[in-house]
Amino acid sequence: MSPILVGPLTVAGISTFLALVIAILDKFLNNYGQLKISINGGKKELTVKGGSALLGTLGAEGIFVPSACGGRGSCGACKCKVITDVGPHLPTEMPYMSPRDIEDNIRLACQIKVRKDLAIELPEELFSIKKFQTRVESIKDLTYDIKEILLSIDGQTIEFQAGQYVQLVVPPYGEMPESVQRAYSMSSRPGDAKHVELLIRLVPGGIATTWVHKFLKEGDTVEVVGPFGEFRIHDTPASMICVAGGSGMAPFKSMLNHMHETGAFPEKEIWYFFGARTTKDMFYLDEMAALSASWPRFHFVPALSEPKPEENWKGEVGLITDVLDRYLQGNVDRAKGLEGYLCGSPGMINACINVMKRNGLTEDKIYFDKFA
Amino acid sequence: MKLRPAEIKAFERMRPGVITIQGFLGNDIRPPEEIIAEDEAEFARLGLDFETIASGLEKLRAAGERGLGEPISLGKFLVQTGDARGMLPCPYNDGLYHKNAVSVRAADQPFESCVEGEDMLVFSDLSIHLLRVHHFCQGRGSPFRLEPELLKKMAVSE
Repeated sequence: MSPILVGPLTVAGISTFLALVIAILDKFLNNYGQLKISINGGKKELTVKGGSALLGTLGAEGIFVPSACGGRGSCGACKCKVITDVGPHLPTEMPYMSPRDIEDNIRLACQIKVRKDLAIELPEELFSIKKFQTRVESIKDLTYDIKEILLSIDGQTIEFQAGQYVQLVVPPYGEMPESVQRAYSMSSRPGDAKHVELLIRLVPGGIATTWVHKFLKEGDTVEVVGPFGEFRIHDTPASMICVAGGSGMAPFKSMLNHMHETGAFPEKEIWYFFGARTTKDMFYLDEMAALSASWPRFHFVPALSEPKPEENWKGEVGLITDVLDRYLQGNVDRAKGLEGYLCGSPGMINACINVMKRNGLTEDKIYFDKFA
Repeated sequence: MKLRPAEIKAFERMRPGVITIQGFLGNDIRPPEEIIAEDEAEFARLGLDFETIASGLEKLRAAGERGLGEPISLGKFLVQTGDARGMLPCPYNDGLYHKNAVSVRAADQPFESCVEGEDMLVFSDLSIHLLRVHHFCQGRGSPFRLEPELLKKMAVSE
C-alpha cells in the first residue's frame, strides 16, 4: 500500500470506529424505554417511547399542541403545564415565560424531553384536534399578494367555530429541507364541514407563504391540523365592532357568512371596518356590499389609507384606526353595549385596542387571536 | 484567518435547521468570515458605514409600522412591516430578536415584478442587529440577505 494512503485510511478507520462506539452508546444510554404520560389527572394516559421532545411525542399520539416553529423554541406557542419535576426552565424557554408561568410550571413542550413518566395538563379542546388530509380544490388571486385557497377534506369532516384557525403543514420544497407548520384563520363557514378555506398573503422571506404562492397548485394534497383558537363570536346582545386588514379578512368572512346563513346571534348589530392602502389591496367588496344590502344589521365600512385620484374611491379615507375612531364617536349605536373583534398584525391590534378603549370599550370585551 | 471559538460556534448556528430552517447562509459557498470580510470591503467601497445603515433600516421599520400591517408610502418607496410569532436568538448568542419581516420596494414598481434581495429589500430586527454589531449581511440566496448596493439605494436615501 502506498505510504501516502496510510495516514488518511488510518484517520478514516479511527473515525468510523468512534462513530460506531457513539452510536452504540447512544442506543443504550439514551434508551428510556416505554414511559407513561398522564394528562389532566389521568383523563388520558399515553404509553410512549421515551427520549424525544414532549411536543413530537404528543403529536405522534395524535395530540396536537400548537407550534409554529417546528420545535426550535422560537415561537413560544407550545406552552403546557408539566406537573412532574423535569428540572429548571431552560434558557431557550425563558424568553416566553412570565413570572406566573414559571411559578405554575408552564414549559415549552418542544424543549422538554420525555425521559421519565410525566404528568402534564393540556386544554381539553386539544384532544379534539385532528390532522386532515386535503386536496387543493381551487386557488384564486384576491389581490396581487393575497390568495384564496380552498381545500377539500378527504373522507373526514371538520367541526369548528367561526373565527378559529388551522395549522397548515408545509412540506419540504425547493431548498427547504424540512416540514413546517403555520397558523391561518379559516374563512370557510362552519356549516361546510367538507372544506377549509384560507386567505394567505405573501410575506417576503416567508417560508409558508412563499410555498403557497409559488409552489402550491390545484389538485395538490395538503395536510392541515386543527381547529385551534379562542377567537369566536360571544353570545351576548352587544354590537360587534370588527376590524381587519389584508388577510385578516379570513375569520370575519367565516363569522359573517355563518351568522347570515344560520341567523345566529340575532340581537347583534355588526360593524365591519376593513382597511387597505389602495383599491389594488382591496377585495371582496362586491360580496360584502351584497351581504350588507341583504342584511340590515350588517354595516361594512371599507377604507383606503392612500387612494389614488384616478381610483375615484367613494368610501372612507384614512388609516383604519382613524376611521374606526370617527365611527365610534358618531355612527355606532351603543345601546346594547359594544364588543371589539380584531384580526391583524400586533401593531394594528394594539392601535385598535387603544382607539376602542378611548371610546369606552373595556379590554375584557376586545377579542383577538395573537398570531404574533 | 484564525477564528475565535465564539465565531466558530456562531457560524455553526448560522447553518440551516439550527436557529431557523433556512439558516443565514443561503446558497453561498463562501465561509461566513469571508462573507463578512467581502461585505466590509464592499461597504467601504460604497462609502457606507454599518451604524448609519442599521439606523436607516430602523427608520424604515418604524415607518412601516405606521401602516398597521398594510404597505405605506415613504417618499419613493413602499414599506410594509409584518410580524410573526416568537423570537429568534442571534447566532452569536448576544440577544433575542422579535420575528418580523420588513419589505421595502420602489412605489412605482409592481409587487409582482419585484425580486427579493434585488429590487426588494427584506429585513428583520435580527438582520439589523447582525449588520450593526457583527457586520454580517447574510449569505447570498438567504431570504434576508442585505445586498450593500440595495442598502445604499434604500436605507440611505430616506
